[in-house]
Amino acid sequence: MKSILLVKDLHVDLGEFKIEDITFTVDRGDYVCVIGPTGSGKTILIETIAGLYKPKRGSIILDGEDITDLPPEKRNIGIVYQDYALFPHMTVFDNIAFGLKKRISKKSEIIREVKTIAQKLGIEHILHRRPTTLSGGEQQRVALARALVVRPKLLLMDEPFSALDFKTRSRLRKLVRDVVSEYNTTVIHVTHDFEDVWSLANKVMVMYRGRILQYDTVEEVFNRPCSDFVADFIDINVMEGVVTCSNDKTIVRIGDLEIMSKDKVYEGSRVKVFIRPERVLILKYRPDKKFENILEGFVENIENRGSMIYVWARVNNILMKCAFTPNILNIVDFRIGDKVYLCFRSDDVRLFVFS
Amino acid sequence: MQIGFKHLCIMIAIVIALILFSSFLCLIVLPSPKEIIESLRSSEMMFSLKLTLISALISTILVMIVGTPAAYALARFSFPGKKIIMTILDLPIAMPEVVLGLALLLLFGKTPLGTFLKYLGIRVVFTKIGVVVAEFFTALPYAMRTLYSTFETISARYELVARSLGYGAFETFMKITLPMARSGIIAALVIAFARSVGTFGTVLILAGGTYMVTETLPVTLYLNMSYGNLGMAITSGLLLLGVSFITIYMVERLGGRT
Repeated sequence: MKSILLVKDLHVDLGEFKIEDITFTVDRGDYVCVIGPTGSGKTILIETIAGLYKPKRGSIILDGEDITDLPPEKRNIGIVYQDYALFPHMTVFDNIAFGLKKRISKKSEIIREVKTIAQKLGIEHILHRRPTTLSGGEQQRVALARALVVRPKLLLMDEPFSALDFKTRSRLRKLVRDVVSEYNTTVIHVTHDFEDVWSLANKVMVMYRGRILQYDTVEEVFNRPCSDFVADFIDINVMEGVVTCSNDKTIVRIGDLEIMSKDKVYEGSRVKVFIRPERVLILKYRPDKKFENILEGFVENIENRGSMIYVWARVNNILMKCAFTPNILNIVDFRIGDKVYLCFRSDDVRLFVFS
Repeated sequence: MQIGFKHLCIMIAIVIALILFSSFLCLIVLPSPKEIIESLRSSEMMFSLKLTLISALISTILVMIVGTPAAYALARFSFPGKKIIMTILDLPIAMPEVVLGLALLLLFGKTPLGTFLKYLGIRVVFTKIGVVVAEFFTALPYAMRTLYSTFETISARYELVARSLGYGAFETFMKITLPMARSGIIAALVIAFARSVGTFGTVLILAGGTYMVTETLPVTLYLNMSYGNLGMAITSGLLLLGVSFITIYMVERLGGRT
């Protein structure tokens, strides 16, 4: 069976917060990232799957078994939290062995299993220590080891890296990717960090006000957001236009502008045009070739977001943003009011037809 | 201006502490040691001390057995009537002990519950069982407050993680929640014991405060004061003071270690 998790028509009401109409499937081996603004119901969703809340209606099927009414201990679902939730009165070894003790009675086997996963996660040297004496990165690796060592059918993670510094976060991401694929674990990972999505997930779910707005492959969601809200949330350029020519390449007219796309759409269709800001190259001179789309505009705003620089440029009446890494600023210096050329290829222009 | 205000506040704290300390000192300094040793050796004092410690021990155990799951339920789950239950359980803290004693006297004396217990051969009113019952209901709210706030500070996430690893609700409570609540539980235990030892009004009304029958240390103090036997009264006062000091010391020590 391909799908491992099937959530159908799930409604959970906690008074202040609720989730509604939640239906989705997760395939075996999928890595799903759940994104959405704070308070959109992401944590309630995974905690309901884990068995903390009783749904008002709907069902959760895990590996062919209806687990909707099963207590958490009968579900075989692992959970890792942002604040690690390591048991403070136990050593690291006992934390990791905790779930194993329920499954294996042979002590030597427990020791072997704990040591194996500790080695994979690089924590074998801290097995005797108490969680409170560990760094954030170490604690998160212990939490991960504790959840994975029992080989859960599904691993749920609630913002597991958000309390860690940048460097530790990227190191842990690689570790999670390796260990999850080695254990062949299916993962649902709640996050606010798009880097988690890009580097870990093959599918992404966007939630807002307790509902799923879009659930698809990362490629699809980030290139073809299903609504203005999703587009805005994932920080993509959105424009509206009409297809004027649909031969070899599709041409979309947006006001006075013409933009070329490789997406096939009937002539006369009204479309939303999506272009990811990282796909737009901003230059101070007009390039000779390579780009099917070159738009002339003026810099209106520059924002430094640490790992990326965002530049907003006005092209006729349309405001477009492009993103690049800060090192570009060492070569080219952009100032507000500068005349610039926004260049992008036709296969980076995605079209979404709406009636 | 600010410094003046600061000094005034500190002075008030020092003066009030000094007055209180002087009163404790009177208890220790004024009576003659001979009188105290004689009082300590008296059969009445021995009886009172023994009854006080045994009844307080039993009521403390009962308070913990009942209070721990009840406080856990109030801290962890939401259910209809929870707020009313919390208010009722808190009420004895604000209520004069004699009123609580009277209420319990009526419950165990005149209602079907009292009759039923009598039928089972359990006599609560004016008996040693009454002493334990009185101490139990007086100490329970104090212990429950401590336990409630302890359980509230332990995130439910620890329990969900333990349960996701295969442990049932009760096992999780025993293996994760209780050990994590250790210092709070010990603090509640100490408070329950101290309150039980010091219960006066409730014991007096429900158990009668009868000489050498239901006579606990606070009752000994009261009875001997009314006879004009100051030596005995002061000795029981000193014993109670000792219990209080040990209690505060233990709460301070354990409270700091979470």
